[in-house]
Amino acid sequence: MSNRAENIRPPEGVPISFEIASGGSRFGAQFLDILITFGGLLLLFIGLIWAGLIAASMLATLFLLLIFFIRVPYYIFSELVWNGRTLGKRIVKIRVISADGGRLTPHQIVARNLMKEVEVFMPATTLMSGTLESGWVGLALGGWMVGVLLVPLINKKHLRLGDMIAGTLVVDNPKAILLPDLAVRKSVQKPTFVFDASHLDVYGRYELQTLEEILRESPKSPQAIARISEVARTIQRKIDYVEQVLPTDYWDFLSEFYRQQREYLESRQLFGDARESKFHNKNKQE
Amino acid sequence: MTIRPTRNTDLIRSSRFRAEREAGWKKLETLLSWAERSGVGALRYEQVHELASLYRQAMNSLSVARSISMDKALLAYLEALCARAYLVVYAPQEGIRGAIWRLFSEGIPRAVRRSSLPLLIGFLAMVLGAVVGYVLYFQDPGWYFTFVPPEMSDGRAPGASVEYLRSTLFDDGGRNKETLGVFASFLFSHNTGIAIFIFALGIFVTLPSFVLTFYNGLLLGAFFAMYAEAGLAYEVFGWLSIHGVTELSAICLACAGGAQLGLAVLLPGNHTRRQALQIAGHDAVKLIILAGLMLIVAAMIEGFLRQLVQDTAIRLAIGWGVGLLWFLWLGFAGRRHNMPAEIEAQA
Repeated sequence: MSNRAENIRPPEGVPISFEIASGGSRFGAQFLDILITFGGLLLLFIGLIWAGLIAASMLATLFLLLIFFIRVPYYIFSELVWNGRTLGKRIVKIRVISADGGRLTPHQIVARNLMKEVEVFMPATTLMSGTLESGWVGLALGGWMVGVLLVPLINKKHLRLGDMIAGTLVVDNPKAILLPDLAVRKSVQKPTFVFDASHLDVYGRYELQTLEEILRESPKSPQAIARISEVARTIQRKIDYVEQVLPTDYWDFLSEFYRQQREYLESRQLFGDARESKFHNKNKQE
Repeated sequence: MTIRPTRNTDLIRSSRFRAEREAGWKKLETLLSWAERSGVGALRYEQVHELASLYRQAMNSLSVARSISMDKALLAYLEALCARAYLVVYAPQEGIRGAIWRLFSEGIPRAVRRSSLPLLIGFLAMVLGAVVGYVLYFQDPGWYFTFVPPEMSDGRAPGASVEYLRSTLFDDGGRNKETLGVFASFLFSHNTGIAIFIFALGIFVTLPSFVLTFYNGLLLGAFFAMYAEAGLAYEVFGWLSIHGVTELSAICLACAGGAQLGLAVLLPGNHTRRQALQIAGHDAVKLIILAGLMLIVAAMIEGFLRQLVQDTAIRLAIGWGVGLLWFLWLGFAGRRHNMPAEIEAQA
C-alpha cells in the first residue's frame, strides 16, 4: 500500500482502503471538464449558428442559460447520475466517495460543487481576464486566491474546501486483478528442499512479500537470471542453508522457500506471533 | 463447504482458504462489471440479491485474509474487489425526482426556520446598507458616484431631470417582447453568479458575505434616495418592489447561507472546525438552493412583468404578493405537528 491510502469504514465494519487521487489527476479531471463543457458549448453554438434554425434572441437566451448550466449545475448533475464521477473524472479514472463510509448523498454533491465557484471559477476567470486590481486590494485578493488554490496541496488528503464542507474524498477507481497463488505447487512431487524452523525463523512478512514480488515474473534476460541467483545465494547464506543448491535449481529453491516460509509465518501469526520483518527478534529482546 | 479433492490437502492453509472462495469472488467481479457498465437497474432481482450476499462474503473474506494470509497479491485483490463492490452497493438509491420533492416540501422550509441567526445577519447587512446609503445621500449626493459604478447608473444620476428619472421607471426601454427573454436570462445568470459568490465567500468567517451584501444595500439606499429627492419615492418603491422583494431576499438568503458557514468557522462550539463546517453545510446549502430558485423567479418578474406592468399599485401588489407566497411556503410547509413556532424570518 502506498502512503496515499485512506481507510473507509463501510457499515459492514471491515475497513477498506482507497488510494487518494493525486493532485495531478484532480487538476487533469478539472481541466478536462472545463474543456468538455466550454468546448461542447462552443461547438454547439457554431453548429446552431451555421444551421441558422434558431432566431438570434432565442440563441442569446439559450447561450446565457447554458453558460450558467455548465458551471456549478453540470458538476452536480453528473456526479449525481454517475455516482461521484464527472466526465473528466471518468476519463482520468477518479471518483468522489463519502468519507464516512456511507453512500454519497445529494447534499454532499451539491455542497462540494457549490464551493467550486470560489475555488475554481473565480480565480480562473480573474486570472484569464487579467483584471487584477492594483494596490493592496489586488494584492490581498491575489494572496487569498493563491491561498485557496494551495489548500488542496498542503493537506494530506488533497481536500478542497468543498470536500471539507461536504465530507467527501476524491480517490482513484479501484482496480482488481487477481494474480495466481505462488504457494500452489505446479507439479505434484515431494519437496526437494526442506527447511526447518531455524531456517524459517530469520525472515518476516516484509521479506516474504518482497520475495513474492520477485517471483511474480520468471526471469528471461541474463540480468534477471543473474539477479535471481544473487537473491538465492543471499538467502542461502543468511539462513545458513548448508546443502548444495545447483544454479539450475535456484528458481525452484526460491519458490519452495517462499511456500514453506509463508506457511511457517502464517501459522506463527495464528499463534499470536506476528513477524513484520527480519528485525522481529531484536524487538523482542529489547 | 463442500469436501475438497485430496490434492487440496497438499495446499497450505491460506491457499486452501483462497481456493475455496475464489469462485465466489470471480462471480462477484462479473456482476460488478455489469453493474458498473449499465447500472444496478440493469440487473435482475436474483442477481441483485446475489450481489449483496457475495459482497458480504467478500468483505468477510477480506477480514479473515488480513489475519491469516501473507499473500500480498490476494490482499490487494480483495481490497480492490471490496472497494468496487462497496461503491456499487452503496451507490445513491434515491431517485432524483424523490430527492427534489423532499427538498422542496420539507428540506428547504425547515432549514430556513432553523437558521434564524444567519438570516438576521443577512437581512441586517442589507437593511443597514440601505439605511446608510440613504442617509449619506442626503448629506452629500456625491456619495452616489462612490457607490454606484458608472456603467450601472445609465444616466440615472443626481441632477438628472425628474422627467428623465420618471421615464426610466415607466418606459419599457424600447425592448420588444422577444428581447425580454434575453434580458431575463441575463439577469438570472448574472444574479445567480453573485448569489453563489456571496454564499461561497461566507466560509471566510462571514465577513466578505456581509460586506458584499452591505454594499448591495448601499447601492439600493443611494438609488432610492436619489428618486426620493426627485419626489418619485412611491413610484420607485413600486418599481423596486415588483422584483426586489424576491431578488433582494434571495441575496440576503445567500448571505445568510454564507454567514452560516462563517459562523461555523468562527464559533465551532464543541466540534472541530471541519466538523462544524460539515454540520452547518446542511442548512447553508439549502439556503443557497432556495436563493437560486428565488432568483429565477425574480429574473422572470424583472425581465417580463416589470416591463409589461406600468402601474405602480399593481407592481406593489405583485411584488409583495409574491413575497407573501414565499413567506407562507417557508413558514408553514413541512411542519411537524408539535414543533414550536419559529421566528418570522422572511421580509
